[in-house]
Amino acid sequence: MYPAPIDEYVRPATVADALAALGRYDEGDAVFVAGGQSLMQAVKARLVRPRCLIDLQAVDGLSGIDVGADGVRIGPMTRYAEIARDERLTGACAALRDAAQRVGDRQVRNRGTIGGSLCWNYVAACMPPTAIGLGAELELTAADGGTRTLAAEDFIGGPLETAREENEILTAITIPAAKGSAGSAYKKWGLVTDALPVIGVCVALEAADGRCTSARVAVGGLANGPTRSGAAEEALVGVDAGDGDGIAAALAKAAGEIETQEDLWADSDYRKQLIRSLGAEVTATAFARAAG
Amino acid sequence: MSTTTITVTINGEVFEETVPVRMLLVDFIRERAALTGTHIGCTYEGVCGACTVQIDGEAVKSCLMVAAQADGHEITTVEGLAQGGELSPLQRAFNEQHALQCGYCTPGILMNMDEFLRENPDPTDDEIRHGLVGNLCRCTGYAHIVDAVRQAAKETR
Repeated sequence: MYPAPIDEYVRPATVADALAALGRYDEGDAVFVAGGQSLMQAVKARLVRPRCLIDLQAVDGLSGIDVGADGVRIGPMTRYAEIARDERLTGACAALRDAAQRVGDRQVRNRGTIGGSLCWNYVAACMPPTAIGLGAELELTAADGGTRTLAAEDFIGGPLETAREENEILTAITIPAAKGSAGSAYKKWGLVTDALPVIGVCVALEAADGRCTSARVAVGGLANGPTRSGAAEEALVGVDAGDGDGIAAALAKAAGEIETQEDLWADSDYRKQLIRSLGAEVTATAFARAAG
Repeated sequence: MSTTTITVTINGEVFEETVPVRMLLVDFIRERAALTGTHIGCTYEGVCGACTVQIDGEAVKSCLMVAAQADGHEITTVEGLAQGGELSPLQRAFNEQHALQCGYCTPGILMNMDEFLRENPDPTDDEIRHGLVGNLCRCTGYAHIVDAVRQAAKETR
């Protein structure tokens, strides 16, 4: 397919100019283009018919990864390829690399961005459940220059829905530093290598002497949007790294409480099995990473 | 129809053109620069990788962006791989290893693997296969493509 006619292309240099360009059009008529690897598909299929493309590639300060004592700050225009090869993203943040290394293919990873993925929030995307699992905080900047910060789970809604207002732009993604030994991991299953996830699971945990002291479990690939499993998170606390039965029991709680859909790729029970098996695997990986 | 004027360097040659905003980069390369080595395999759906080119040295699918997004950037297409009439080691390896049959997917694979080998000069077979995920080939079964990439890696190191 081919895009419908587009009136204007702009390439702002600042966040303020990007938001000003957005403000010149009626709601929905101008769209931000980050890496464009999802959006351009929708534009070409004419599911999205923008009058104006606002290309964010030249906006100052939206790209790059800063690793500091407070945590990790990632610019939304940071591409998957940059995240995938950043060896500083270990321990509590390692799930980011797991997810980025297996998104799409090399060409997509060279252009696709973490911020674009979070703001598009496709049903079968890796970054939304990963951001929720890691407890990421998202900074949004509005046209008046004001900012607000939302937890990823409050930002991300059902598929293709987010809490971003029309006059806002995502300006930073922050993963707060873990207090003690922490590890995370993400893994997805799709029909072919690196395919869109039928189910993806992110587990982030803190451990002391090999025993889990707190955990976050997030699942993506769901018709209702990515979600946490409070039951699995509670059940993981107190479980030892080597306790396979304890881990399996916790992930069975996730599979039990999460509503899974049936579609062309998998039925509901198979999705629950994926939550159990992928979840147990990433939990073990997260424990190993927490141990360093 | 709304247009914009862009300046794009392709294989060292500067093209300044006024194009419709909606014109895809792959069509700019094929129709305005008349470089038809870059192919369209899946009718612009972003899944086949035949339209892969390099932008500032990085492999990307040229059907997944409008030409305007490439304004000010340097593009390399398959026509830019050979230097002074000499095939690149990767191109020669594809020839010697019979890594193509119909050849339709080959330009995209070359442009992807050319960057891949710069990033990873000593890849395992698994890494080569993982690198090829974004390029569909319906003739070869990939075995000879992997052989060719391995040969090029060995010769280039």
